[in-house]
This record gives sequence, structure tokens and C-alpha cells, in this order.
Amino acid sequence: MLRASSVVELAGVPTASLTCEGFLGQAATTSSGLGMPNLPVAKVPGHVDVQTAEELRENLVKVTVDAVIQNLTVNPSAAKPIVEPEAHDIVFEGTFEEINRLFYENEWSDGLPIVPPTVERIQEFLDYCERDADEELGALLPDNRMATIWNVAVNGVMAGCRPEYMPILVALAEAMADETYGVEHSGNTPGADTLITLNGPLIKQLGFNFEQGALRDGFLPNTSVGRFWRLYLRNVAGFLPHKTDKGTFGNTWRVVLAENEDVLEKIGWEPTSADNGFQRGQNAVTISRYTGGGVIASVFGNKPEQMVEYLSDALTKITGWELIFTVGMATGTYRPLLVLSPILAETIAKAGWSKADLRNALFEQARMPAWKFEKYVGQWSNLNPGHRTLVDFVNMGKAPKVFAESKDPERMVPIVCKPEDFVISVAGDPLRTNAYVFAHNGMLGFPTSKEVKLPGDWDNMLKAARER
Amino acid sequence: MKHLDETQQVVWPRGKKNLTVTPLAKRLESLEGKVIGELWDDLFRGDEIFPILEEELAKRIPGVSFVNYEVFGSTHGDEEHQVLASLPEKLKRHNVDAVISGMAC
Repeated sequence: MLRASSVVELAGVPTASLTCEGFLGQAATTSSGLGMPNLPVAKVPGHVDVQTAEELRENLVKVTVDAVIQNLTVNPSAAKPIVEPEAHDIVFEGTFEEINRLFYENEWSDGLPIVPPTVERIQEFLDYCERDADEELGALLPDNRMATIWNVAVNGVMAGCRPEYMPILVALAEAMADETYGVEHSGNTPGADTLITLNGPLIKQLGFNFEQGALRDGFLPNTSVGRFWRLYLRNVAGFLPHKTDKGTFGNTWRVVLAENEDVLEKIGWEPTSADNGFQRGQNAVTISRYTGGGVIASVFGNKPEQMVEYLSDALTKITGWELIFTVGMATGTYRPLLVLSPILAETIAKAGWSKADLRNALFEQARMPAWKFEKYVGQWSNLNPGHRTLVDFVNMGKAPKVFAESKDPERMVPIVCKPEDFVISVAGDPLRTNAYVFAHNGMLGFPTSKEVKLPGDWDNMLKAARER
Repeated sequence: MKHLDETQQVVWPRGKKNLTVTPLAKRLESLEGKVIGELWDDLFRGDEIFPILEEELAKRIPGVSFVNYEVFGSTHGDEEHQVLASLPEKLKRHNVDAVISGMAC
């Protein structure tokens, strides 16, 4: 909404931005990232979604209308640029404890101790990257700060990564800066968090855990790279709780999910990165933002037909308001993730099923009544203006025909637009019959993959790193 | 590896801002007789809020008129980039003097 206001101001037209009371702080910091720290906003008291029509009217008439008039007719004080350090500047000298206190007080750390980013440590990371330290990788909203090789290394040091993880960290920063992903939405109120999926030989070369406890902390590469992501979001994109990060609850950053590529190769399934054009054997990271997840325990059956009903049920149950990304706000951008343990994937593949076969079966069975779909997006939540029905959306050309095969509210409709929208990964305890499902945040964190580019002398560098 | 009580020099972990402070548009001396455009992100009851604002502003300001949010398209969602790119031309075409943009909730 403020992005729209900034475009209008640039066009020479004054704006008033309607902002609920709880978002005034976020508006101030977001405006700063748009280069307009003095952009005026008109307060709307409380939150509109819990107000009666009368309460809403009273609040608007008594508070908001005056603010709108003022926003449009009174020139705000001129904004002054803020002077900040240069990238390579030494900003402090102190002990480990003093440095950590400073970083915490300035909101540069996540509350856990950080490894002090000294020039010497940063250089160790830069040695694993054949690119200029000041190379720019893209600007990141909401702060509109420039991602660079240098600040990737700085935050990698802080997160406790090893220098040889640097190629992965650079790929992640590039993915974060990719418009497809939509990093600017990372502070939205549902508080979703990113899952990084890693594919390629790097999984074994760097010792990523891809078996039992695949999503648990306790493995240096999985854990520290996951922490890097959140620190980079904080320090370079600028997402700070109580300011630009408005996750109502939020959750801790996720550790990296590394796929079990031995099993994938054995059963002839493509890795997750293949969804975005990568080949088996290529090193690639995939980022996607998930609103939540849940385990599906003890999947029973020796044939895929016996398993699909349970897996489909889990995918349907975990999907609620997110359906606005299937049909409505951003049609066709809902990409839920199903992580199968190796034994489940092997059993499904043993019957001759490909990933595409599994996706087709999930598309047919992961369904819910149309009335329930419509309630999620337009009645239980307020995400569908005008309470349009699925039939309305199809008639408007904004949803596939499968959502309007009849007008019967009891008809079963899919939770995604097409079978390919299901993302399927394989990891976890090889011999346990469990799976995991993640609900997805649609276009507000769309699956985005980047190649991990290694330096030319990678094999020798890796050998040296192991001997260090 | 340094001892915890040894001092170390550290750098700033953030990134350079990719922008300069941009001046806002000049505010209007009065809203009398002016055209106000409405922008909506299709969220948080804008369809109820804009009519109330229109009614109340019209009571207080002679000659004020409005261009409905539907003219511009939703400023959030899968069409955001196209909608924002088209705004300068649409504002001009509809002679818009000022804009109310909602809803941040």
C-alpha cells in the first residue's frame, strides 16, 4: 500500500495512506526504505476487522477524515538523510561480550551470540568467492539496502557459518533479491518463514544432514546457513520485529532441508531444484516461504494408492486462508510442500509411480467442498473483497475451470490450480514411514532457485578446509 | 582463536541504502473542487471505508469529487507491478489532484 503511495508521490500527487493503529511503526520504517521517511499516514483506530459498522464509521469520522485532510493539505517537515557507516568501516573495538552487547542493542543480532565480524574472518569467506567484494547482488526491500558479496560474508561470519559455505550464502542472497520470490512481503502478519532446500553434491561435500532429524538443529551447515538467512533478512533487507516485521507470532528460522539425493537417484525422481529448471547433480538452493507445517505420522500401506488418501488429507487440513493464493489475490501461486521420508518415496516409486503420478493423484484427492474453500478466503477471513464465489472467479477468467464444474456448494475442488503446484521433496529418517507437509505463502515467498557457483579450485579449497 | 577478553575490531553488518531521500509532492492549499483518487489493495474493508470517507469529505469540502479504486486496480497481489506502473498515466488521465491509499493493517 505504501509502495503505491510512493509511486503517486513521485508522480507529483500528494497522498494520504490509511494505516491501522498497530501498523504506524511499520509504516514509518517502510516509508524510510522507500526514500520518503516523511510520507504522511492517516490513522485508522484499532483494527478494522473486529469493528462493527457503527464503530468503524465513528472511528473514521472522528479520527481518520481529519488526518486525511491534513495529509493532503499540510506539507510535512523536510526529511533529513541519515548518515550511516560505510561497508568496510570498523564500527567498534571491544571484547566478545562487548561486541555482542553492541550488536544486540543495535538490533544487528537475533539474540544469540554472534561471531564477531572482523576483517580477517570476512576475508576467509571472500576467499571462497571469485567475485569482487563490493559487487552488488540487488536491492532488498523494505530497507532498500544493497546486497553485496561483502555483507553476505559479514553475516555469514556472524551466523557461525564456515568460510566454505560462502558459495551457498551468495546464492541465497541472489535468490532473496530475485523479484520472483517477493522478499518485500517477508514482514507480513502471518509471520511465515523461509525454508531453504539444498540440492547437489555440496550436500555431502559440506556435511549437510539429510537423514534422520533433517529439520532439526544440531548440524553445523544446516543450522548456521538457516541462521544466516534470518540475519541477512534483518541486517540487509531490514526486517525487524516490532518495526518492519509484523509477524503476529512468527517462528524461529528454519534449518536447511537437504534432500536425500541417493534415494532420489535410486528411484529415478528429480530433485526439488528440477521444478525450477535445474538438473540432477547441479548445486542449487531453492527458497520458499511457508506459513506452517505438520508431521504425518505412520503412513500405512505397501502401495501408493493406500498412502495417497492420508497424504492428501494432511495437505488439505494444513491449507486454510492460504487458498487466497490458489484463487483470488494471486491465483496459481500456492505451492504446498510434501516432504516424504525415503522409505515412503521408495515404496511409491516401487509401484512404478513417478513424481508426476504422485502429483496427479494428490491433485485428484487433496480436495475440499467449494463452500469451505469460499469460507476460508471470503467469510472466515476478509481476503476476498465482495465475497466472490469460485464460480465468479472462473467467470472472470481468474481461476481454472476445475473450480466451477457445477454450482453445487458441496462439489469437491482442489487446493491448488494444477498438479505441478505440489512440491515434493525427499529427506528424513530413511526407514521411518513419516511425512511432513508445509502450507505455503503464495506469491509472498514464491519458490525461487539459484545455482550455487563454486570457485574454480573448489576441490583443493575444500580439501584445505577439511584439514583446517 | 582469540580469547573472549581480547579486543577485536568489527565492521558494520548492514548494507548501503540504495536510495536518496525523495521530496514528497507539494500538498494542496485546499481540497475544494479537487479530484481525489482512491487506491485500494483489496484488503481490510476498503469497500466499506472509502464510501464513508467520500460521504464525510463531501460534507466538509465543497466541490470535492472522487475516482473509485476500481479504475486503478488492486495495489496488492499478482497484478501489483502492472497496476503501480500504470498509475502515473491513469492519475493524469482522470485529472487526479490527490490520492487516498489503503489499507495498511
